[in-house]
Amino acid sequence: MYSPTSRPCADQRRAAPAAARSFAVLLALSAGLLSAQEVAPSLLLQPTPDSWPTYHGDYSGRHHSALKQITPDNVRQMTLAWAFNTNLTQALKSTPVVANGILFLTAPDNLWAIDARTGRQLWRYTYPTNTGFHIGHRGAAVRGDLVYLTTPDAHLVALDVRTGKPRWTVPIADAKRGYWSTNAPLVIRNHLLVGVSGDFDNVPGVLKSFDPETGQPQWTFYSTPPVGTPDSISGGATGGQMWMTGTYDPELNLVYVGTGNPTPVLNGPVRPGDNKWTGSIVALNPDTGELRWGFQATPHDTHDWDAAEVPVLVDAVFGGRPRKLLLQASRNGYFFVLDRATGENLLTKPFARANWANEIGSDGRPVPNVAKEPARDGRLVSPDESGGTNYRSPSFDPATGTLLVSASDAFAIYFFKPEHGASGWAGADYGVHARGVLRAIDYQTGAIKWSHDLSGGSGAAGVLTTASGLAFTGDSAGNALALRTADGKTLWHSGLGRVGNTPITFELDGRQFVLFGGSSVLYAFALAP
Amino acid sequence: MSALRPPGQAPRAPVKAPWLTRSGVPPLLVGAVRHLPPCLLLATTLALVGPFHPLHAEVAANAPAPAPPPERGQNSPASVRPPLTAADQEYPAAQIEAGRTVFAAQCAFCHGRDTAGGESGPDLTRSLLVASDDRGDKIAPHLIAGRLEKGMPAFVLPAADVAAIVAFVHDQKTKADHSVGGRRSVEPADLQTGDKVAGQRYFEAACTRCHSASGDLAGLAKRLEGLPLLRRMLYPTPAADAEPAHGPQTVRVELPAGKVITGKLAYRDEFTIALVDADGWPHSWPTDRVTFTVDDPLAAHVAQLEKYTDQDMHDVLAYLQTLR
Repeated sequence: MYSPTSRPCADQRRAAPAAARSFAVLLALSAGLLSAQEVAPSLLLQPTPDSWPTYHGDYSGRHHSALKQITPDNVRQMTLAWAFNTNLTQALKSTPVVANGILFLTAPDNLWAIDARTGRQLWRYTYPTNTGFHIGHRGAAVRGDLVYLTTPDAHLVALDVRTGKPRWTVPIADAKRGYWSTNAPLVIRNHLLVGVSGDFDNVPGVLKSFDPETGQPQWTFYSTPPVGTPDSISGGATGGQMWMTGTYDPELNLVYVGTGNPTPVLNGPVRPGDNKWTGSIVALNPDTGELRWGFQATPHDTHDWDAAEVPVLVDAVFGGRPRKLLLQASRNGYFFVLDRATGENLLTKPFARANWANEIGSDGRPVPNVAKEPARDGRLVSPDESGGTNYRSPSFDPATGTLLVSASDAFAIYFFKPEHGASGWAGADYGVHARGVLRAIDYQTGAIKWSHDLSGGSGAAGVLTTASGLAFTGDSAGNALALRTADGKTLWHSGLGRVGNTPITFELDGRQFVLFGGSSVLYAFALAP
Repeated sequence: MSALRPPGQAPRAPVKAPWLTRSGVPPLLVGAVRHLPPCLLLATTLALVGPFHPLHAEVAANAPAPAPPPERGQNSPASVRPPLTAADQEYPAAQIEAGRTVFAAQCAFCHGRDTAGGESGPDLTRSLLVASDDRGDKIAPHLIAGRLEKGMPAFVLPAADVAAIVAFVHDQKTKADHSVGGRRSVEPADLQTGDKVAGQRYFEAACTRCHSASGDLAGLAKRLEGLPLLRRMLYPTPAADAEPAHGPQTVRVELPAGKVITGKLAYRDEFTIALVDADGWPHSWPTDRVTFTVDDPLAAHVAQLEKYTDQDMHDVLAYLQTLR
């Protein structure tokens, strides 16, 4: 019988059983072995103000910074410090990583090392021409003296931070079978977790861990059964790709990853049941890949709604007692609060227009209305294929207790008939109308505290909040925005072109920078020196 | 008339139902379209970049009889019979195979590995541009220039790669021309589940403030059928080559001095309101310096999306199909 656990590789290195102890050991090792310029994995536990050392900025996925130099009072004086032009025709969709004054920026087949003070290019690495999907890229990861890039043909490349010279390249999954990767890997001690994409073919969902120094595979977690495995719980579904970067709780030693939609995508009848673990949040042991718990945000998805969106980790009193929480604004239009130790659902509330479920089950999962499954004559469904939100990162502001989410109120018509087949997309859907809105969700109740219209269709920008009470994002019309987190009022804007990544911030030489991607250019703003 | 005429001197000529003669992008989408990033991530809406179809003048009541729609299969939804290739052309097998490789890397996410449509891009085997292309004379310039307002990036590719893409797309089209069905196909026969009597009741209660079966919608079913009709019914989207991309929305702007300028809404975001006046001149103002009102006839379509049941939708479609 298939069980959704990992398959340890023969050469897997077992980590110390007690997470806390292993940290202590590792910190000691790091101090002894790494030069001052190298990026210790421990930096990710306590990111310094001069860094944004991982895709989400830290392990919590809150996209929140303690920096306070730029405030609601002075943000109007924010001005351009530098700009870096990728000279690509494709818009920037990746979020940079910054450590030791070096900024790493990615695009498909490309990684740039840039002086974070000036925007000057240090080196550029270009991956050889290949046939993978070049649709976009999320970002890089950095550890020790290596920086990592995933590729359109589902490979993982380790480059020397100093020179950009490749140290090694290993396959993540078989591109010929329909996998590609846009993933920003996640460093957890001596593990490098790497995900892939692939819902144009019926292939199982794969998350892999590699030895960050050698590229040796450590374990693989399958969200749906690998070929040749008797199926027990997916109901015949493949898919569930883990294409977004997860978050991590070092105390529980659990990594949280959202899984993708099932395949075939729109053909539901051929894969009856819930199709676990697609459209889910899974909690894994990063040392073994073992599944601790799973929560399925969308049972039996038939609309391309993955649950890959960022699982945001917050410690707070909830329902009268202290809890380790996990928040997710999911692509299906619902906001979930879970206990991240157990996976227990604590709250489910819609945050965007959603008409596909008539009720919330006792387990907190929306119950799909079968009448909204794609049908021969078409069904009017919200949200659309792009979802109530998508990969664009939300931000949690602890001072106001809000999760800021770039939401979309959207409608589409969904079709499926047997003639569409049972491979890959297997259906047809057509967008009708979409409207982008930034929403501030009260995480205690799911209530919308305020909404800020994004001037058009679905937005593409993620959100960054800072401890000074600012929220940075972009609208659908091509403006970078600074809003007051408390009420969503616009305090600053700049017409950069559409912001397609998540703003980040760091402080160098006493100066706070805020970075936005606008079209194919990366812009760094700061107060005038 | 001077091109440098300041906004304050625009003529006051009333704009006479300007949307009746122009197809366009809904106003709220204009800004987004203008700044659309290439290929638009996973997050793009089909409303913006999805297949488009001919636009007809049924948006407003009391419209003059519309001209017959242009023969325009480009980006048309799958229920329209795809145009056949105009000029027979053959390509070496090696070039087709090379094209398959380049297409997979550069084009397949949006257009599908088989060119028959992907997550956001239209089915190229049903594209008029492809059908009318002769050895790349239309496809190649299209690739190089892109169609940024529709979400398609401009590609910087070696000439050999462009030629290989052309070869592969034509080969796929030839195969599609000789096959039946289609991955994303929706046939008119699939959509016949509505009740036209119930649809007429719904129409008369919900739609007649702007539309009339004997007026603007007279003969509608002779011009449109199947999925294109359903999509136009739900939300009228612009034609693929609408130029300039102005929708039916109009705006009335009052300047601080009291002067009033009206025109087609050209752009709107939090900070800027822009219009094109009756003579075709563009104007824009900071939103905090003027007062303005936007008349958006499509807002009623958006509001209706919240109200339709699936049965309502099919009923109204059934009724519209009787307007022959």
